[in-house]
Amino acid sequence: MNLAELRKKAEMEFSANGFPTTREELWRFSDVSPVANAVFSNDWKPSELEFQSLEGSLVVVFENGKLSREKSNLGNLPEGVRIGSILDFPDPRIGSLAGTQSAFVAANTARFSDGLWIEVDDGVQLETPIHLIHLADLDGAAFHLRNFISVGENASATLVEEYVGEPFYWTNTVTECFVADRGLLDRYKIQRESPSAFHFQTLEARLGAEAVFSNHAVTLGSRLGRDDIRAKLAGRGGEAICNGLYLLNGKQHFDTHLFVDHAVPECNSHELYKGILDEKAHAVFCGRILVRQDAQQTDAVQSNRNLLLSRGAKVNTLPQLEIYADDVKCTHGATIGELDEQALYYLQTRGIDPVQGQAMLTGAFANEVLDEIRCAPFKAYAEERVRTWLEGVAK
Amino acid sequence: MEKTMALLEIKNLHASVAGNQILKGINLTINPGEVHAIMGPNGSGKSTLSNVLAGNEAYEKTQGEILFQGKNLDDLAAHERACAGIFLAFQYPVEIPGISNMYFLKAAVNAVRESRGEEPLDAMDFLDLVEEKKKMVQIRDDLLERAVNSGFSGGEKKRNEIFQMAMLEPRLGILDETDSGLDIDALRIVSDGVNALRGSDRGFLVITHYQRLLDYIVPDFVHVLVNGQIVKSGGKELALELENEGYASWNGEQQ
Ligand SMILES: Nc1ncnc2c1ncn2[C@@H]1O[C@H](COP(=O)(O)OP(=O)(O)O)[C@@H](O)[C@H]1O
Ligand SMILES: [Mg+2]
Repeated sequence: MNLAELRKKAEMEFSANGFPTTREELWRFSDVSPVANAVFSNDWKPSELEFQSLEGSLVVVFENGKLSREKSNLGNLPEGVRIGSILDFPDPRIGSLAGTQSAFVAANTARFSDGLWIEVDDGVQLETPIHLIHLADLDGAAFHLRNFISVGENASATLVEEYVGEPFYWTNTVTECFVADRGLLDRYKIQRESPSAFHFQTLEARLGAEAVFSNHAVTLGSRLGRDDIRAKLAGRGGEAICNGLYLLNGKQHFDTHLFVDHAVPECNSHELYKGILDEKAHAVFCGRILVRQDAQQTDAVQSNRNLLLSRGAKVNTLPQLEIYADDVKCTHGATIGELDEQALYYLQTRGIDPVQGQAMLTGAFANEVLDEIRCAPFKAYAEERVRTWLEGVAK
Repeated sequence: MEKTMALLEIKNLHASVAGNQILKGINLTINPGEVHAIMGPNGSGKSTLSNVLAGNEAYEKTQGEILFQGKNLDDLAAHERACAGIFLAFQYPVEIPGISNMYFLKAAVNAVRESRGEEPLDAMDFLDLVEEKKKMVQIRDDLLERAVNSGFSGGEKKRNEIFQMAMLEPRLGILDETDSGLDIDALRIVSDGVNALRGSDRGFLVITHYQRLLDYIVPDFVHVLVNGQIVKSGGKELALELENEGYASWNGEQQ
């Protein structure tokens, strides 16, 4: 099926089936009726939001769902690297990983209006991080963004995605990533959407032999949101890393659904997700690891740890291991706890007031995830955003 | 009026925890420069007393008065008491994963300085202070980089407490069974550290179950705490008396 046909099929499926309800297993804890019941426009206007690019990065700006060539800085790309609008690069692989597997993906496939396209040729190491910034300030709009990333054999790239906006809109992005044999893709996302916005993202990654894909999601924004992150280890010796930190307060609801598919032998996967929730926030973590019969010598580790700062906050954590091979090492752990009052008292007896003490303790909890970030300028940026958030809730 | 102001004055202190009355009328005065020892059997209320003084909110003062340098402590939270100069070396120091000892100490030192209206120490001055103080308790560098008390041995935790005390230079040091879990060498190191901090403007409340510690940190006064009350006070020879006779007779009298 070519892309045009796939898009037609997706439109038909989405029109016929609509949005999932909480009666469906994968959406049991996530009521998306606020999205289903809202009416969104397809208008467009340039964004008035200010933005700051990461130091030394190639910046790509999308404003209200459209690539802005003026605000982006893509003049001098290194040889073997192509970055642009997905509309200008009709790659036959678009749609091959993500088509209609959920209502959100189907809606995106049918309606995407723009998105980022990156191709790094075999053997090319792109040292400069690509900083993709989505600015949204069109009230009532829906942004269906479709991204496509291809990292060649023995090639490497780093992508930082940032989402920021105001006041009410729906971001619905789908990203397909191909990492060829011995390729490396580090992908970071910082989600700072408006507190009344909806943010849905599906990421599908396919890894070749000895390829490495790491994904790090820092979630601070949106009223209702969900990340679906699916990585298929399709070549021997591949490694998938999926880390995340979600910091939620008010009535925020955020879901993370991971699916790591070990299809071949000798692959590793590591997942470290941590959450800090205050007030009446609600998080769902669903971490599925599938180890197929052929996938001997799989090493899979998953951990989800949550800190609840108030009685009204809630977490549902659901590790799901499905193992069909016999020579594997798989571990998982999930915890939901509260701030350590003894530790807070100990800090206090050393002169540290409870506000600073709480920020220190929650910061220590969050640092385990932030310490895994390899892109130094992004690490510094994420640390600062996280610190500001933690100090805010400690008051 | 000629008398210098007491460092700590405890008057008829009653306190409860989890609804149980533990302290039942304690009277104790510590003047600057004095070292007072409190000895008592397990469960007599020694740690309760130290927590009430340090401002642990789980412990409720139900009667009486605590004055620190003439000031009523009632309205001061734990961190304000620390900033005012009260330091508690815990019987069971808390492990804090993810926060390095150095980062923690810098935050503590600067919090105390800030409360006194002093400039925070910069990285260099802070390191100089660490270098100076760490010798006192022979604390290893790798313990400074590790998370606070995490995976420390019992003895290392206690040394770390005394190291913190040396860094914060309090007016009143409360040592809650600092000797428990220490071998003889560590006991000597810790005691030397405490003795080095003794001075005319500082006081100590040394809580212990055993007389042994008091061979190294020689007190000016010894008090016996049984069932939430001080049943006897005396000089340092009282500790030896207790060592020989035990607490049994006191326990008996209380019944
Ligand atoms: N946090 C607490 N909750 C409930 N009971 C406590 C608590 N702390 C101390 N107690 C009780 O108070 C009494 C005195 O304890 P403690 O002060 O620790 O004695 P000591 O330090 O002399 O051994 C004991 O009976 C103990 O069980
Ligand atoms: Mg005790």
